[in-house]
Parts: sequence; C-alpha cells; structure tokens
Amino acid sequence: MTLKQKIESKQFIVCGETGPPQSCDGELIREKSRHFKGIVDAVNITDNQTAIVRLSSIASAKILLDEGVEPIMQMTCRDRNRLAIQSDLLGAAALGINNVLCLTGDYQKFGDHPEAKGVFDLDSIQLVATVAQMNKGYLLSGKEMKKPTEFVIGAAANPFAVPFEMRLIRLYKKVQAGAQFIQTQPVFDMELFARWMEKVVEMGLHEKCVILAGVMPVKSVKALLYMKKEVPGVKISDEYINRMKDSCEPKDEGVKIAVEMIQTLKNFQGVRGIHLMPVMWESITPVIVKEAGLASIFN
Amino acid sequence: MPNELASLQKIPVTPRERKFSRLMLFFESLFKVPVFGCQHCGECLLSSTAFVCCQGCPKRLRNGPCGGTGEDGSCEVYHERKCVWYKIYYRSKLLKRMSLLYKLNKIHNWNLENTSAWLNVFRKRIDGPIWFVHHDKQKVKDILADDAQAKN
Repeated sequence: MTLKQKIESKQFIVCGETGPPQSCDGELIREKSRHFKGIVDAVNITDNQTAIVRLSSIASAKILLDEGVEPIMQMTCRDRNRLAIQSDLLGAAALGINNVLCLTGDYQKFGDHPEAKGVFDLDSIQLVATVAQMNKGYLLSGKEMKKPTEFVIGAAANPFAVPFEMRLIRLYKKVQAGAQFIQTQPVFDMELFARWMEKVVEMGLHEKCVILAGVMPVKSVKALLYMKKEVPGVKISDEYINRMKDSCEPKDEGVKIAVEMIQTLKNFQGVRGIHLMPVMWESITPVIVKEAGLASIFN
Repeated sequence: MPNELASLQKIPVTPRERKFSRLMLFFESLFKVPVFGCQHCGECLLSSTAFVCCQGCPKRLRNGPCGGTGEDGSCEVYHERKCVWYKIYYRSKLLKRMSLLYKLNKIHNWNLENTSAWLNVFRKRIDGPIWFVHHDKQKVKDILADDAQAKN
C-alpha cells in the first residue's frame, strides 16, 4: 500500500529515514534499503542535510524505488531557486517519485561549504504552495502544464522551539498552503509535545493533515548531550538524559526508550503515525518496529 | 486556477520608472534604514510583521521562523543576535497584531529588489500597509473558525 493510500484510508503510518552517502556509491543505499523493505511505509531521503554535500536526494530516491521501497524525497530551498526547484520536481515526478517533503534547509554556515551562497528563494511554506500548484497543473509562472504532477506533499514542524504559539501558526500556514502530512522533529520532551498536540487538535489541524511524530533512538548519552548543545531548536528532558546516563547498556536503553515513546505517542489524539529517524543507525529500524508491535500492520 | 500565494504581480518596471524608483528609495531609506533596518526588498511587509523588518533574517524568511530558534530566542546562524521572528512574535503580541501573522505571504518578486516599496504600493504591485487591527483576538478566532467551516 502506498503512502497516499494509507493517508486516505486513515491507517497508522510508519516512516523511516536514511541519508545518502558522501560519495557516488549507490550500492550503499541499496544495502540500507534492506532495513526498510516491508518494514516501513516510506523512507525519507535527506537532501544534503546539515548543509553537507551528499548524493542527490532524487537519485537516491530513484535507487530506493527500484529496490521496492517507497521514498519520500526531501527538497530544500537552500540550494535551489524557483527554476531549479520546479525542474527537479518535474524530474522526480517523471521518475515515479510521488512523495516530497518541503523544507527550508539548514543554513550553509554549519556545513562543509560555509563559504557557499545560500539561495532561499522560496521558504518551506511557499515551496508547499508551489508543489500544490504544480499538482493543480500550473507552474509558478502561471503556465499550464500538459500533465499535472501527483505529489503527496509533506512538511516539517518543530513543536519544541520558541515561541510556542508561532510554531502553531507556522503549522497552520503549512496546512493552509496544502501540506498533506507533517513530520515533527524528534520528540525528546513528551510533556511539551503533549501540550503542542493538544493545541493542534484544538485548532482542528489534525483533521486536515496527517501528523507523524518523530522518534529518534540514540546510541549513547554523548550523542544526546551533543544534540542538546549543538543542534538548534532541540529540547531534551532531563529525565531522558538521566536514564541514558545511568544505563550500563546505552544502546539497549536507547531502543527501549524509543519503543516506550512509540507506545505513548500511538495513543495521542491526532497522531497518525511515527517517523523513525535513527541517524547513522538505520539497521535498528526493524528492531524498533518489531518491538513496538508495529510490525503486525505490515503483514 | 493558479494559487493566489504563488502568483506574481506582473506589472513590469520600465527603465524610466526604475530611475524614479531609485530616487524614491533614497528618501524611503532615510527613514526606513535607521528605524527598521530596511533591506530594500521592495515588497514591504513591515505592517504585517508588527514593524520589525523580517528581511533581517539570514534566510530571509517571509512566513515565520525556521525551526532553529534557540531557547533564549537567539538566531541559529548568529547566536549573538535575536531571531527576527522571535522579535516579531512578541511585538505582534504587544501591539495586538497577531491575526496578521496568520496571513500567508507571497513568493518574493526579485524584480522589485532595490525599488521603492512606497512607489510599488502606489502602482498596485504590492498590497498597501495595514495600519489598524481592531479586535485582534476575535480576528484570530475568526480565522480558525472560517477554516473549520470551509472544511465542512
């Protein structure tokens, strides 16, 4: 069942995530696709995440597609102006890639080419609107296309950054522009997420789009502390850090916490799925899906 | 029909008008640069962003903050600065202009870069400023209620 069908039929959705390699080795993606095939509904393919040059997301998405895994192609506004965005989207549609996640993109200063010129011709909300318009059969110029695209449009949301209310307004705008599914940043602070979700339900946004809660299993407390310090907009509860610190088997504890989180998130009103994003640890995806009892939905 | 948000007003700027626009921009800058830190985008959003110029953002976002605002409201790119949209949010709250933050801002027309926004308003290329917002809280409620209705 494709992601589109799952969204329409109101079933529980599980997404994975993988980053393409920093070389032209397509074999690596094929290898990684084994961790996802038949286990998750769709897999995010990052687009030069943290502004580090990697194999392009369109090419990687195509490789995954050939391997029988449904890709969600990420598209950032950092590297492309409106011409390149539209042409890349058309190219992706021609290759049979049907899901696109619209992002603004990390600032180039943090990557491996800090001297690069960031484009930011559109922002993520305008990109969502652009894709929605292409689905209607029009380019940004107003020119009508012979064949409209059929993208399922996704966008990201960060419930954990300040100001809290502004995050809801952003989400509202994204849904208004035409986003069909929303993937949140990884949840490390359940209380804050619960408060955010409550507001989302109050605004009625959960009925207009599918909200997938992000879950990131971590290998060690070091990774957690690094994220708390270096990654902007991430909020991690002390309880989580202490649990990881006290554990003698941090890897197992990381999986355990992730599984517990999924169990809790599953029961939230408005949460329609999980977005698993183990960074550089894709092999853990099947383990978590199985332990969280989500495997049954794929059989 | 093409989407309203992604459509561009296509009234071309003639070379003669551009010259006049430059002159206007000079006078506009005298006021806007020291007071608001104007970046001459030519599509002024000041009135809907509670009179904080959103083009001071390193990503030049026109529709709200990126996901990287620090806990103290610092910019993710330049930590010593405050996030522009953080400032806009609190100023909007103070001035009771929150309903304007729900508006989707159109894609930027780079043709209007370094032209006078005042002249562009006069020539109907961009929307004019919104000076007064009455009953802001009610308006926000209405925006959300309208949506719920449109869905039904």
